[in-house]
Amino acid sequence: MKTWRTLTLALGLAAALSAQQFKFNLDHLAAKASDTVDLSLNGATLQFAAKFLDSKDPDESKVKKLIAGLDGIYIRTFEFKRAGEWTEADLEVIRKQLRSPEWSRIVGVKSSQDGETDEIYMRNENKKITGLAILAAEPKEITVVHIAGPVDLDSLAELGGHLGIPKVEIGKQK
Amino acid sequence: MTQLESVQQTGLDFGELVRRHQSMVFSVCRHFLHDRDQAEDVAQEVFLGLHRNLESIQSEAHAGHWLRKVAVQRSIDAGRRRQRRPQVALADVAEPAAETAVRDPMLGETLRRLIATLPETPRMVMVLRYQEDLEPAEIGQVMEMPVATVKSHLQRSLALLREKLARRGVREERWIG
Amino acid sequence: MDRLEQELKAALGRKDPPAGFAERVLREAARAPARGTALPQRNRPWPRWLAAAAAVVLCAGAGLGYRQYRGEVARQQVMQAFRIASVKVNHIQTHVREVER
Repeated sequence: MKTWRTLTLALGLAAALSAQQFKFNLDHLAAKASDTVDLSLNGATLQFAAKFLDSKDPDESKVKKLIAGLDGIYIRTFEFKRAGEWTEADLEVIRKQLRSPEWSRIVGVKSSQDGETDEIYMRNENKKITGLAILAAEPKEITVVHIAGPVDLDSLAELGGHLGIPKVEIGKQK
Repeated sequence: MTQLESVQQTGLDFGELVRRHQSMVFSVCRHFLHDRDQAEDVAQEVFLGLHRNLESIQSEAHAGHWLRKVAVQRSIDAGRRRQRRPQVALADVAEPAAETAVRDPMLGETLRRLIATLPETPRMVMVLRYQEDLEPAEIGQVMEMPVATVKSHLQRSLALLREKLARRGVREERWIG
Repeated sequence: MDRLEQELKAALGRKDPPAGFAERVLREAARAPARGTALPQRNRPWPRWLAAAAAVVLCAGAGLGYRQYRGEVARQQVMQAFRIASVKVNHIQTHVREVER
């Protein structure tokens, strides 16, 4: 299994997290995790990074378009050596915040066979998409992705086939 | 990136390749190894190998040929990693108490078990012939052996199966079309 | 084809793999980038720490400043963030399709 290293922003790149639209509250899982990923990139950081993305590189060019106008990307991933290190209560702490009027769940899949739970939430304000939240939980891994800003889900999924990701046919959103 | 471009140009969709060929790959592994769990593991390895080498696949047809060939190789390798003797011993293939006068409803399972007792090369030749409907020349290409050798394996395996079935009380003339 | 061969064809017919097989394959494949299609890096598919260290050395050696180094780090982290996000979206879409079948 690919090993994720713990990454935290250094050198002052992790500025104020005011663009975050909900709190992760998952720090307590870090102590139990064998590997974690912690990425917190606010709007200023994204616009700064955009200057260093190569427009001639097809992958970086797509990402450059995606991040235009975004207010931040926040990702936490925890991998565990064994199942049972996280509970539904850990996910519920996040779900509670995503039950506010601005958020609506557009995808929710639960597989009792694999012990897997996947949810996607969109944030709408004045009929415009202003955020995306992804909850992906497996017995030995939890990933929470939060993208603040006008994100295009189809464009995000289209990145499959690039960045070393196998391309998967996009089904119609419900 | 040249490798990404090749994938883009052929428009190959890995997910679609998995869905299209999963039965073929799984069945080759299953019928050769006669072990469902092991077959699933090997089949997954085959597809992950395809994913790692996707940039070298030139077309859908190429992908199919590639998958079949690698499924054969990986299945044989997996079979060798197990004990040398086949997992299904001849003694495990039940013999009816009396000569069978009507069609044996368990015949399919009997045949699959008998196939599993064959040595690995003729076993795979039989799987490719009767599961995949390949002609001997095609089998020769997949397994990298002369056509004459393929035909020899087929003839001897069929003769062996007839003999084993006859010993189990199934009259030989029933097998002549 | 004689009767035995016909029975063999029937006995050795293709079987579907267990439910969820394709989805499991795609999930495993998503963990391991295809050869040559790894995270886009300007140089070789080196480990990220080595690429970052090389970037530091190169930046220092070329007399580029602190800003350039920060930009390189930010670029790598943005690409990683989008990789993770798009993998998850695709994975969920695959999961949805499997359930819908």
